[in-house]
Amino acid sequence: MTRLRLFLRHPFWQAVLLLVVSYLAFTVGVRYVPPLFRVASAPVPGSVVLQYMFIAIVGILIFVSSDELRWRTFKQPLHATLVDQDKRWLRGGLLVAVPVLLGFATYQQARPKVEAPIQLRSIHPAPPGQITFRGKAMQLSGLENPLRKSGSMADHLREGKRVYYQNCIACHGDRLDGAGHYAHGFSPAPANFSDNGTIAQLTESYVFWRVAKGGPGLPREGTPWNSAMPVWENYLTEDEIWSVVMFLYDQAGWQPRRWEASPEERKNPTGAKQPAAPNAPKAGGAK
Amino acid sequence: MAAALLSFATTGKLSAQDGKTIYNKWCSGCHGETGAGDGVGAKTMLPHPRDFTKAVYKIRTTASGEIPTDDDLRRIVEVGMPGTAMPEWKSRLSAAEIGAVVQYLKTFSPNSFKGAAAKAIAIGKAPGGDGVADGKAVFQKLECYKCHGLAGRADGKSAPTLKDDYGNPIRPADLTENWKFRGGNSVSDIYTRLRTGLDGTPMPSFQDAVENKLITDEQLWRVAQYVHSLSPEKTPESREVVRAALAQKLPATPDDAAWATVERFWIPVVGQIIAKPRWFAPAVDGLWVQALHDGRSLALRVSWDDPSKSPDPIWDEWLGRMSKTLTDVDGPLATQQGPDRLVVQWAQNPSDESKRPYFLGGDTKSPVYAWRWSSEPKVEEGSEAGLGHFTALPNGSVTQSARYADGQWQVVFTRPLASSDTTKVPRFGEGRAIPIAFYAADGSSGEDEVRGAVSTWYAVYLDVPTPTRVFVAPIAMIALSAGLGMLLVTRAQKNGRANGATDSSPMEER
Repeated sequence: MTRLRLFLRHPFWQAVLLLVVSYLAFTVGVRYVPPLFRVASAPVPGSVVLQYMFIAIVGILIFVSSDELRWRTFKQPLHATLVDQDKRWLRGGLLVAVPVLLGFATYQQARPKVEAPIQLRSIHPAPPGQITFRGKAMQLSGLENPLRKSGSMADHLREGKRVYYQNCIACHGDRLDGAGHYAHGFSPAPANFSDNGTIAQLTESYVFWRVAKGGPGLPREGTPWNSAMPVWENYLTEDEIWSVVMFLYDQAGWQPRRWEASPEERKNPTGAKQPAAPNAPKAGGAK
Repeated sequence: MAAALLSFATTGKLSAQDGKTIYNKWCSGCHGETGAGDGVGAKTMLPHPRDFTKAVYKIRTTASGEIPTDDDLRRIVEVGMPGTAMPEWKSRLSAAEIGAVVQYLKTFSPNSFKGAAAKAIAIGKAPGGDGVADGKAVFQKLECYKCHGLAGRADGKSAPTLKDDYGNPIRPADLTENWKFRGGNSVSDIYTRLRTGLDGTPMPSFQDAVENKLITDEQLWRVAQYVHSLSPEKTPESREVVRAALAQKLPATPDDAAWATVERFWIPVVGQIIAKPRWFAPAVDGLWVQALHDGRSLALRVSWDDPSKSPDPIWDEWLGRMSKTLTDVDGPLATQQGPDRLVVQWAQNPSDESKRPYFLGGDTKSPVYAWRWSSEPKVEEGSEAGLGHFTALPNGSVTQSARYADGQWQVVFTRPLASSDTTKVPRFGEGRAIPIAFYAADGSSGEDEVRGAVSTWYAVYLDVPTPTRVFVAPIAMIALSAGLGMLLVTRAQKNGRANGATDSSPMEER
């Protein structure tokens, strides 16, 4: 017990312990602790761990050198390792082990690696202001789903369901999570509508554009060559697309983002204050 | 849904009525609101969605011809049916919700479920020891190969004649791809299917064979162990890059023993449902790809399961049944069997990522470089500007060597790395990844140049001979760090002697 306490009071072993604890916190902690509190998490990339460790080492050095006595005590085992007669085996071991480790790390860096071509892909590329749908010009900005203002919503949703199950389900799946029975064959993976980072962040006109023009209609930053999303204007009418867009929001349980209120709506504010309405969705991946 | 959740909150239990709400929201799109398996999405699916009004279920733990237990139904909803359009639902629905749906499913066939609950058959334990060889003998004795094929690749003589109780074409399970077994792929799952049969399909129960002492129960377990052994230990995962290792000599034929030691890569392919006419029932579901190069030429072996060497007259009946079942989706199927096909396509300009062509056979603005193989067998080299829009190049230099055996095609493509045509043919340079994509079709199933199975872009990386710097840099690093270490030690010891003694320790030494 006293031995352990002596260890823990020695600045050198404190520094080692801090180093180990911070490494574990960056690698294991960040990955596995938040999920215990139902917060999503992901592993920290190696390069970021390296940066964090650098900062941790600087912090630890400041701590051990902040006091003259502590600094001398800290250096003492290091110095002893370098000179003491009874530590000659440890010294010899380190003199071999450290260069070998560094040599191995250099080899890992230098050897040729099998690497995939780099692809930078924007998840939500900026939509054009206007598109041509089956030869008809269509203004996208400010455009709302016209079906929401006409006819029976139940009919629209039934129609949207038919369109979805006959055309979309193989990739986007029954659960709307992009895990349909063909999803494993395509990269990038089909969009996951149940995730709060896809349609929940978008206006219906944006979704209409993505459905109508598909992968080949993506701007360059969206890497159109890889997306398996078909050009649905070749298969579906305007109403069919609007109805399936409506079905997506209904089935996934999201509200579409709205355009800023039109001047007449602003004149007749209805009850509670609206949150600042988003503009056109921004380019760049949200995830 | 809200009502269902509310009632759950108040009672903690969900009723069949809540089951109806959940069913109509999540299940009716395929299985139909009346449960007859005729939902709006049904016609693009093969196998078709289950018809609950008949109460005939494939995956049960009950004896052949009996209704399933509630747990059987629950299990299918929870984990889904691999290899079909039926997904797992446990990530979306709670146990209580799934329970309510199961109760509701039974109401579609009230007469079948009104009696006493079905009982699961007693399943013993798998016998120990290695029974694979015994299992193979029993597999032959029970004539499993008649449908499943001698190597288990679903290419038996009877395979083209198979239909389910509704007259739809049905394929025997490919026993070498057990990740698609509908009822699970453990030895005891397989044994259970052998005991219960798959009702509604041509797969019988072997309960009688055991009861009539044709075989013993242990032998049936051995069959299950043998079937289990036919698939890879682990379900293959697709990786983005296929590695072409350096070899002294390239194997020229598909059955060259040298291929056995070459790493193989699984490339899943799925129905071409992007360009017209779309195809929702692909016969090929994945390709095993291997690559080698010797600094002068590249050799690529592609192997895939295909139950027929098309065209083959015994498959005419199958094609007829396919055309009848898969109507109304982007036009009729071919009436004549075409050849089997494989297209290997490459990006024409692999060094410029921003100019990568469209994965689906390129387009007119940016074509792909393609090897178009068909089972005559022959290979053409050319450029493709959209699926099936192929223009052969003069002086093609790619050659093929193909072999069909036991329900599997193996094709070796060989071509020199260098090419005189630098605009339409990519530079097959060492030390970098060249984008590659695949298209596969089975002529006997009505597939052609557009109806078939596709992949998105993968890449082939040609290994480089290890450069000298790879060894120089680590050696230099070792020498440098060892030298610095020695310097540090000698200086510290010199200083120590100069000071007379080491610092007196404020702490006890270890």
